[in-house]
Amino acid sequence: MKRFLTIVTWLAVAVLGAGALGAIAVHRGEPLNAMWFVVAAVCCYLVAFRLYSAFVAARVLVLDDTRATPSERKDDGRDFVPTNKWVLFGHHFAAIAGPGPLVGPTLAAQFGYLPGTLWLIAGAALAGCVQDFIILFCSIRRDGKSLGQMAREEISSRGGFIAQLAVLAIMIILLGVIALVIVNALKASPWATFTLSMTIVIALLLGVYLRFLRPGRVLEASIIGLALVLFAVVAGRWVGESASWSQVFTLSGVALAFALIVYGFIASTLPVWLLLAPRDYLIAFIKAGAFFILAAGILIVRPQILMPPLTRFIDGTGPIFAGRIFPFCFITIACGAISGFHSLISSGTTPKMILRESHARFIGYGAMLLESFVGVMAMVAACSMTPGVYFAINSPASIVGNTPEAAAATISAWGYHLDAHSMTDLARLVGEKTLLNRAGGAPSLAVGMAQIFSNTIGGERLLSIWYHFAIMFEALFVLTVLDGGTRVGRFMVQELGGRLWKPFGRTSWLPGMLISSAAIVGAWGYFLYQGVVDPLGGINSLWPLFGISNQLLAAVALVVATTILLKMGRLRWLWVTLVPMAWLVVVTMTASYQKVFEANPRIGFLSGANQLAVQIAAGSIPAAKIAETQRLMFNLRLDAAVTIVLASMILLMLIEALGQWYAILSRRREATLHESPYVRTQWAPGFSGAAHGDD
Amino acid sequence: MQPNSKSALAASQPLDRHQKLRRWVRHFWRGLREWSGDAAYDRYLRSSATRAAECPRLTPEEFYLEQLNRRYSRPNRCC
Repeated sequence: MKRFLTIVTWLAVAVLGAGALGAIAVHRGEPLNAMWFVVAAVCCYLVAFRLYSAFVAARVLVLDDTRATPSERKDDGRDFVPTNKWVLFGHHFAAIAGPGPLVGPTLAAQFGYLPGTLWLIAGAALAGCVQDFIILFCSIRRDGKSLGQMAREEISSRGGFIAQLAVLAIMIILLGVIALVIVNALKASPWATFTLSMTIVIALLLGVYLRFLRPGRVLEASIIGLALVLFAVVAGRWVGESASWSQVFTLSGVALAFALIVYGFIASTLPVWLLLAPRDYLIAFIKAGAFFILAAGILIVRPQILMPPLTRFIDGTGPIFAGRIFPFCFITIACGAISGFHSLISSGTTPKMILRESHARFIGYGAMLLESFVGVMAMVAACSMTPGVYFAINSPASIVGNTPEAAAATISAWGYHLDAHSMTDLARLVGEKTLLNRAGGAPSLAVGMAQIFSNTIGGERLLSIWYHFAIMFEALFVLTVLDGGTRVGRFMVQELGGRLWKPFGRTSWLPGMLISSAAIVGAWGYFLYQGVVDPLGGINSLWPLFGISNQLLAAVALVVATTILLKMGRLRWLWVTLVPMAWLVVVTMTASYQKVFEANPRIGFLSGANQLAVQIAAGSIPAAKIAETQRLMFNLRLDAAVTIVLASMILLMLIEALGQWYAILSRRREATLHESPYVRTQWAPGFSGAAHGDD
Repeated sequence: MQPNSKSALAASQPLDRHQKLRRWVRHFWRGLREWSGDAAYDRYLRSSATRAAECPRLTPEEFYLEQLNRRYSRPNRCC
């Protein structure tokens, strides 16, 4: 009877999910309610977790709870710490959830709500979660080894080196692009710039508190910091309204870019206790709170989805970024469906803390489902504002003009009604001078979030506070990735440099530290600067580059996972990683090819550069702008070269792996796994890690 | 005997709920401390490696700095 009830319940969940997905897919005409999105996503996630992840756990990986995990065998109270599965789920989710799943779906809403939502749900269930889960499992079986180390051992030393280089290159591009998102959100906004500056000051104060006054008392420091940050959000309004102070904090895009570059350099060289760690403690609570309020807000307000299911821009003529729905919808969504960067976390801290192998399913697969849900919420927030406003905020001035009247005329001509007054009024309501031409997704997401928040608490009166809370949350989110990423990039450069000259590899050696930090900051700073001065808004060329690099790293992770499954003798189930890997290779290679060689100058880097060259030759560029145009041409050609290098790295990696697979399948080489030897667990079956000696 | 045992049972029911709530709050609080990093030093002191180690234990300040330096030398945040 119990079994019968279970089957009926799961059938009901599956039917409900399919019905909601069907409603989203075929609905036309009147606006759809956001609850359909929530129901469709949650039901699909539940079914995917209950069935697909259980299948992967039982048949493909054959998880073994009698096997001692690294946290049991190597428990040192530092890196290897047996941790309760709920706590570790929280740790893992906090580490994988970055600004990507918020910004990507917001930008992909340019195609309409349908393609992005379907990919967020299906991509996560069949690719993203599988990648995170299997890489976590592989790393657990190898004492927490990193993706690069696993690639070196299981594929070849060349494969490991390529993976290491790919991680470094991808990190540089990602830092430049997410910095651009924040520059576009903060430019000419004294309120937002002041609030973000204050979060840095608050983090410094907390750093001193945690270091000298109350070492390690993270909770009390976080509560103090949280109160100060909320006060800074409110105080930002006074700064914005003050004639003298607002001038101090009103910065242009270029000034903000340089401020971020200087910040990145200083933050990555300062001791971590002073800035990085306390700021991370702050963002952990703000992140959890913002996600919770957004979910609660969507459930309470149940906003109407005003964006159509498909827009006219599926043909590749989108104003935010150019490119057809295939492959650019998948490239743009990136982290919300599958993120290569997660494989670095799944093969980093988490495997060293996991209590039992079976927990990998809940933590690896489950946390990615939650991240995908964050992406769906971002899509709902972006699509619940009128399409005209969405396009006005996100489109560059070169396409829609830089006055409300010009933007209203252009966007209305596309078929998305917009009047100039509504943009001016909205800007006033959120406490900004203008919301036009803020490509990058952050401001439009903040407007969407603020509308949902203010409909839950405070009404229109609090719209400006909620908007700046959302901007602060997104900007702080980006800063954590920016300075933390710069620091990790610095270590990578020092490690690579140390192979050529030993002293350079010593992380405590000051000249080495400064040179490597400057190299990393200079590299991502260059991408940031070229994005800021790009007349097409920067996002058009850089976000696809970020998406391509992120998805290529996911392809690397799936190549490693497939190789390991093959060596484990799971030939029958190889499609579990092989199909998503093949899909990613096709998507990224198509996108790379189009971004380099496409004849449309808004899509292809080379044709964009050639078009500018023709304009210079024809004399249609004023003499004063020739040097600037030549710089733009150089940047476009550089972007083309970077894309080619990234794509080549992955093709090389694939060739290395294919050689291995062929040798194993044709029995020319023995399939040698580099797993740690089996040790039987000493823990009782009910041990949950929560107690660990004190319960 | 019968009525007495019934009343005793009735009196014990709210207490059980109360105890369950207290237990839940205790678990939540402990989970929050673990998640935020507040309990990291307690964990370190409890770990078998620390208890068995011959070298001196780190002070809270030393442990705090040491764990931060280790955590921030590898990717610990995603995009």
